[in-house]
Amino acid sequence: MSPDDSAEPERPLRALFGEELGQLHLQVELMCVLVDENLERMRTILVDGDVGLVSVALRADDEIDAMNLSLTERCYVLLARESPVASDLRLVVSVLRATSELERIGDLALRVVKLAPDHHLLTADRRCHDILVSMADDALDRYRMALRAWAMLDLGLATQLTSPSTAMDLATERLTEHLITLHGTDAVPIALSVSAAARALDRIADHTVILGARLRYLLTGEPGHLAAEVR
Amino acid sequence: MSDDTALSKPVDLEVASAPVVEPDPAPSVFELDDLHVSYGDFLAVKGVDLDIRKHEITAFIGPSGCGKTTVLRCFNRMNDLIPTARVEGSLRYHGVDLYAPGVDAVEVRRRIGMVFQKPNPFPKSIYDNIAFGPRIAGVKAGLDDVVEEALRRAALWDEVKDRLKSSAMGMSGGQQQRLCIARAIATNPEVVLMDEPCSALDPIATARIEDLMQELKHDYTIIIVTHNMQQASRVSDRTAFFVTEVNDESDTRTGLLVEYDLTEKIFSNPSDERTENYVTGRFG
Amino acid sequence: MALTTPRITTEIVTAESLGKKADVRGAVFKAVLQIALFLTILILAVLIYQMVTGGWSVLSTRLGDFLTSPTSALPQRAGIAQALKGTFWLGIIVVLVAFPIGIGAGIYLEEYDHNGRLINFVDINIRNLAGVPSVVYGILGLAVFAKFLSGFTGGNTIIAGGLTLAVLVMPIVIITTMEAVRAVPDAIREGGFGVGATRWEIIRHFVLPYAAPGIITGTILSLARAIGEAAPLLLVGAIAKPGGNPGLFDLSQLRESFTAMPVLITDWSAEAKEGFVASTAAAIVVMLIIVLIANGSAIMLRNRYENKRNG
Repeated sequence: MSPDDSAEPERPLRALFGEELGQLHLQVELMCVLVDENLERMRTILVDGDVGLVSVALRADDEIDAMNLSLTERCYVLLARESPVASDLRLVVSVLRATSELERIGDLALRVVKLAPDHHLLTADRRCHDILVSMADDALDRYRMALRAWAMLDLGLATQLTSPSTAMDLATERLTEHLITLHGTDAVPIALSVSAAARALDRIADHTVILGARLRYLLTGEPGHLAAEVR
Repeated sequence: MSDDTALSKPVDLEVASAPVVEPDPAPSVFELDDLHVSYGDFLAVKGVDLDIRKHEITAFIGPSGCGKTTVLRCFNRMNDLIPTARVEGSLRYHGVDLYAPGVDAVEVRRRIGMVFQKPNPFPKSIYDNIAFGPRIAGVKAGLDDVVEEALRRAALWDEVKDRLKSSAMGMSGGQQQRLCIARAIATNPEVVLMDEPCSALDPIATARIEDLMQELKHDYTIIIVTHNMQQASRVSDRTAFFVTEVNDESDTRTGLLVEYDLTEKIFSNPSDERTENYVTGRFG
Repeated sequence: MALTTPRITTEIVTAESLGKKADVRGAVFKAVLQIALFLTILILAVLIYQMVTGGWSVLSTRLGDFLTSPTSALPQRAGIAQALKGTFWLGIIVVLVAFPIGIGAGIYLEEYDHNGRLINFVDINIRNLAGVPSVVYGILGLAVFAKFLSGFTGGNTIIAGGLTLAVLVMPIVIITTMEAVRAVPDAIREGGFGVGATRWEIIRHFVLPYAAPGIITGTILSLARAIGEAAPLLLVGAIAKPGGNPGLFDLSQLRESFTAMPVLITDWSAEAKEGFVASTAAAIVVMLIIVLIANGSAIMLRNRYENKRNG
């Protein structure tokens, strides 16, 4: 048998495609960072009601939406041109789904940010405010874990993320209990704003769970993990 | 924008889905057990274990020189034509060892037909091309029907029914290959072996033959060797992936079977890293 | 000259495409080839012209007599009848003996023993034999066919001569058969095996029809060569002036002393009498016509089989 191309020492082929996939991953990381910054702004607004940050956050969210669009387009092009299979296919599809999660997290953060003018309502009750801030911290911690997991493609972190946060559920319960006890003329507006903020934060945490599941399926490809990823 | 209603109930992510179980696997037609093939001193392929299932299309894929064509040609004893070829291990067809002494290779080839890489019609008329196999098998009457049936099954009848007596050499490449397929099925085989049948054809002719394969598998069992991974993923039910390994002593390369599984598994989540590297095209 | 990317502009392309000098070398080469062809045809034409004009007196005045009379000491009565019959029967024997054996051997060596050790050994030897001077075959024929097997052949007879010529051309027949069979594409054989044909069925239905043009051409050309040989026949004992002038299909002549066209021509060309010059030329013209017919029919048969092959 004569020597042929497959006898050459192992250098990856489809170099351009490999680079494209690498770029795709990098861009997802970048989008994660943008969302992280907005979440940080959200937390700051929650704490001190800095209205100046609102416009910054709005502009950043536009950027996040634009990235979602461009990354989606890129994925379509890769699918059409390169016919990826196996782990490559999972990467492209997971990127599509992850960017949509990130975009929703961004939107949810924006909901809280838009509550800035009503900041006095959020801080009116000390207890409520504390719980809200702890929920925000919790959401941020989970989000950052998701960011690290995606950046390093870490299966351990991804698996951790797939267990829903009980802390969030508890906080929501405590908050609801406490809100019921409020009275006064502002009771209802306060309850509405606080509930809105709490719901947004709770949903952010839920989306981090989905991000974890999506990453886990990307890494393992097991049919069992697909069911979780598709929710 | 986001729709929150889907998230209003707590999400249970540890839903265990039932493991994928093949419903009642089809009976096997061929069973290969530790098959080795050598040409003289050169060991071309070693240790092949696999079953070919009835009415399935099985694809052999892998880099050049990995022995896929060698193994294919074992199924119908075509390797006999190479004087230095030697087969060890067992290859059973419905339980019968094809390489046992006393097995008539000519009979074997009537039941296990073959289509080759480059279309090779006989330099005769279309009719005679198809009728040749049945004729030498002893069929004297009803040849017209046999020819028509074979051409219909090969999706060629309408194109050539008015010129059966004209030479086969005047057809296009795609037509010639379909003629070769018709010729192979005219002897009423159970199995049709295809050695890169589309590699010399344009995409449209290729697509026609791929469609043809999907129809044919209802009546026959098909084994196809292909270099075209997309073709394997489109067309086959099961895929066997071969690689070559260097023998330290002799500095030659010997082929071996790495993974053999349902095609959807091979192309979505293969078990072996080498398979993954090959199907994604990252390594040859 | 470094491999730099050239600057291409319209001017450069125009200049290069139109400004080329004439291809002098090519024209000269072509002219040389044409001269070679012309010379070949010229020589041939001259030869034919010489022969025809030389033998014209015989061919135009007494052609019938020339063809049917036996040889004689008198040029005005000498004819080539015996020689024609001799050549005819020699040809028949060559066809009956050399062709089946030679074609059969050629097919066996290529089909059944392809690349075997036997074929290599035999191949070398056969090619050597094809280059042996025909005189040597004459000696062989004398010793074996005329003397040793004189019981069968009857001594210095047509049978002995025919067998000698058969042995002479057999290597050529084997070689041309082998080449013709080798030229059959393997893909056809594979296709045949693929539908369950035996080796013999493949030879019969595919190899032979496909190789037929080549085999036919080779065998007829070797026949044309055989009937043109003089030296072996002389050694085996062809004589210039045999006694009788038997009918064409009188088989008894096969075991009698004989003559053939090449032998006759050789003899006449040495005759002192002036009249024999014309007779010799006339005999040569007849010989040329015979060879022309042989080659012509080879080409015709080959074309017919080739057309059958190509559908």
